[in-house]
Amino acid sequence: MKLNRRLFATLAASALAAGLAGPVLATDLAAIESAGTVKIGMLVDFPPFGILDTAGKPDGYDADVAKALGDYLGVKADIVPVTGPNRIPYLLSGQVDVLVASLGITKERAEKVNFSKPYAGISIAVYGDKATALADAAALSGQGIAVTRASTQDTGVTKVAPADADIRRFDDDASAVQALMSGQVKLIGASNVVMSQVNAAAGDRFDKKFDLSSQVQGIAVAPGSDALLEKINAFVVQAKSDGMLDKVHEKWLGGPLPEFVKTAE
Amino acid sequence: MYHFNFQPIFDNFDMLLHGAWLTVRLSLMAMVFGLIVSVLGAVAKTSGIRPLRWLVDLYVEVIRNTPFLIQIFFIFFGLPAIGIAMSPNTAALVALVVNVGAYGTEIIRAGIESIPQGQIEAGRALALSRVQILRHVVLKPALRNIYPALTSQFIYLMLTSSVVSVISANDLASAGADLNAKSFASFEVYLVLTVMYFLLAAGFSAVFAMIRRVAFSYPASR
Repeated sequence: MKLNRRLFATLAASALAAGLAGPVLATDLAAIESAGTVKIGMLVDFPPFGILDTAGKPDGYDADVAKALGDYLGVKADIVPVTGPNRIPYLLSGQVDVLVASLGITKERAEKVNFSKPYAGISIAVYGDKATALADAAALSGQGIAVTRASTQDTGVTKVAPADADIRRFDDDASAVQALMSGQVKLIGASNVVMSQVNAAAGDRFDKKFDLSSQVQGIAVAPGSDALLEKINAFVVQAKSDGMLDKVHEKWLGGPLPEFVKTAE
Repeated sequence: MYHFNFQPIFDNFDMLLHGAWLTVRLSLMAMVFGLIVSVLGAVAKTSGIRPLRWLVDLYVEVIRNTPFLIQIFFIFFGLPAIGIAMSPNTAALVALVVNVGAYGTEIIRAGIESIPQGQIEAGRALALSRVQILRHVVLKPALRNIYPALTSQFIYLMLTSSVVSVISANDLASAGADLNAKSFASFEVYLVLTVMYFLLAAGFSAVFAMIRRVAFSYPASR
């Protein structure tokens, strides 16, 4: 019996170790179809992608995509609010089947989860008054440009701008935008998300000068949900070609789905 | 356990020193212009010319009953709407002058009112002109009386100047914020900033004490 006890201890220890490492509990397509619901994780604190509406229900770009995905799969979409840091653990522990949670596609994340084709994207670019001509980063020489301190656009602009560019760092997006709107600066480094809100408020005073960087977002499933991923990819392809994503993008971000999302693989 | 890492601060100390210089320059300029505004405001307020007094009263009340942050936002973001656009550093100076001018007006007014009527009459008896009376009989003793209140207001002004980075003006606090964004050594950066602001305040205090000894050391009878 001694041997058996030792065997049991080993088994228990390895089970425990596996438990601590986070078991991957993938739910594949068949299980979702038989359950009749798909649990979709979504951020609700990331406007305009994920917000809570006045009734406290998840809403936004991701919510519209999630509902459309549920319809496409022919099941009920059950939206589960997740947060930035816990969204991947939610998926890997099987508490949600799919993430439509503005998850940027990176190499590190792709090692843990499987990404669909991109369904959304955030781009950082230099924007400015239509009257201000600006061809490239070298033309920033001597120009004032507002950025949010320590943001991606701060890093991006600082990297490409010549030394005599006047980079004005503000403490938050709102102040940087305010500097642009009040004419204190003619240029701003900002994301397309922020600029869609600016353009909604300011009409079409500003246009894009040049891109700094972009990040595409994918729908994610746990490893092992291969049939589900295949179906989601088909959904994304169809949503891109039939204009569904354009329409949702127009609704939440003003303007069709950006070209870099459409062409990204 | 948090590991202190002051290396990024030593490596970029010139950034902070430059920031400290900007804060000193901004504060000094705001003090000089603020003193001028304060004296003019106080003289106007005690002049007996009613519309002038009302105007100064309005200025003092509006500024003393609104937050500095809102004032600086208004000057930088609001005024361009009526065609007055200033660079961030100019807007910061203007906001500080306008702010300290309101507090200074009240402090100096109190000083002027502390001058006994008899002293002014003594000036008249000596056949001094109105300007001479204002300068030698009223203002100088008045400043001497309220000197401690005025200088502590000035030191407070220097500390308040740390918020000008909200309109992207450059000073010690914004240099610290930039260094923080670069190094992520928040605690170390703000610890060093605290020490630097303390030293600046102590330095200003020492200078003010010296000015007091030189300018106001004549014997007084009260």
